[in-house]
Amino acid sequence: MAFYDRMMQIDRRIIYLCMTLAVAIPLIVPIGMPVQVSDEARGFYDHIEDLEAGDIVLFSFDYEGDVMAELNPMSIAALRHLFRQGVRVVSVTMYAGGTGIAQDILEETAAEYGKEYGIDYVFLGYNPDWSGTILRLGESFKATYPADQFGKSTREIPLMQDVETYDDIALLVSIAGSALSEYWAIWAGGRYGVTVVSGNTAIQAILIYPYYNAGQIPGFLGGLKGAAEYERLVDIPGLGIKGMDAQSVAHLLMLSFIVIGNVGYFLSRRHERKLKEE
Amino acid sequence: MSADPGIWVAAILTLAIFSFLYRENPVFRFAEHLLVGVSAGYYLVQYFFSAVYRKLYVPVFDNHEYILIMGGVLGAMMFARLWRKYEWVSRYPIAFYVAAWAGYVIPSYVQVRILQQAESTMFNPMALPPAEAISNFIIFLGVVTTLSYFYFSAERKGPLKISSHVGVIFIMIGFGATFGYNVMGRISLLIGRFQFLLTDWLGIVQ
Repeated sequence: MAFYDRMMQIDRRIIYLCMTLAVAIPLIVPIGMPVQVSDEARGFYDHIEDLEAGDIVLFSFDYEGDVMAELNPMSIAALRHLFRQGVRVVSVTMYAGGTGIAQDILEETAAEYGKEYGIDYVFLGYNPDWSGTILRLGESFKATYPADQFGKSTREIPLMQDVETYDDIALLVSIAGSALSEYWAIWAGGRYGVTVVSGNTAIQAILIYPYYNAGQIPGFLGGLKGAAEYERLVDIPGLGIKGMDAQSVAHLLMLSFIVIGNVGYFLSRRHERKLKEE
Repeated sequence: MSADPGIWVAAILTLAIFSFLYRENPVFRFAEHLLVGVSAGYYLVQYFFSAVYRKLYVPVFDNHEYILIMGGVLGAMMFARLWRKYEWVSRYPIAFYVAAWAGYVIPSYVQVRILQQAESTMFNPMALPPAEAISNFIIFLGVVTTLSYFYFSAERKGPLKISSHVGVIFIMIGFGATFGYNVMGRISLLIGRFQFLLTDWLGIVQ
């Protein structure tokens, strides 16, 4: 087999092995690559930074375990930022599989800042039918969620006494592994005028740009890179920044394989042309 | 190294799934089937508890909101699909759902995804700093030329041919950016698993 043919037919297991090393080594031996902050991440940060102590934020965990790696760092950093600001958090999840994730993160971050359940934050849990839920919250939070995640009536929760509709919400944060943040922007933002900022998986992030450009989502975090940018802005290094070295090295490796494959392809084409001419 | 049995189970199952990268094997199959079974059980309980119990049983029997029985009946009619003879019954709740969904979606989508986003592509170049004006012009050009690519009611020649060619370039850039983000997302997931293995399980990384 010619050299250029080998360039195009590298055994996939070799590629996987290289990728494993490209991800694992920078995690064990950090390089400390710089993280540049984008305007999108700054928009997300500024909207939380502008909140005042006592304001109420609706925080939606719109993801499940499959995208925890990308979105957990965002949720943790955003909640730390909110609790540090003294903002009160009403939290929901639009996914049945998101309840455990949301509960863990809320309890962990609230404990760091000494926040009390029911006073500083509340977790309303999962409600079936996200479209109906988003719309009905515009009419009544308590009717949409008669009880919180733990079965306690929302009428008896002190924080919920200050929340009736979206009018009482200063900002809506959706951390989404699907199109949910778009739907928050369409219905909660478009119909009820709530300001929506979002954190999205890298795959989803590209679909948020039209909303960002139109000012419908004035700030968002895209993938682990977005989480790292935000961690840098709030100055609380977490899993996002720790993962950036591995991300950069893995991208360089991917680029290298793409270049190798293309060079092999063009060399083989040149060789075929030469054979035809002879 | 972790002493938590839960972490060990998660780590072993992660490695079992990774073993597929070498080749298909029974360990991978076991982990895959376990995931499917556990997920099915988890979601069945979650959906039943959050939908049937919390949204139907409690409001009807505790709060006497009898109007909700109508929704419950419509939901039960969906199960008619299980019997070929009575399959037609399930069309009524589907019709109800489609109609309600269209009512929800159409006005909001037209307003937010078409009118407001089209509005954001319109700008006065004299009122903006040069860099922003150029950026907005590129967005405007991308929208117009991409739309022209999808205009099929005229032969592609003259200005339409040029415009649709430019539109294709924008579409290709869009695909490239999507692929790039896709790669970034997949690698992030891999990083997440390695962070778990190296930090939570092995304790090599702090």
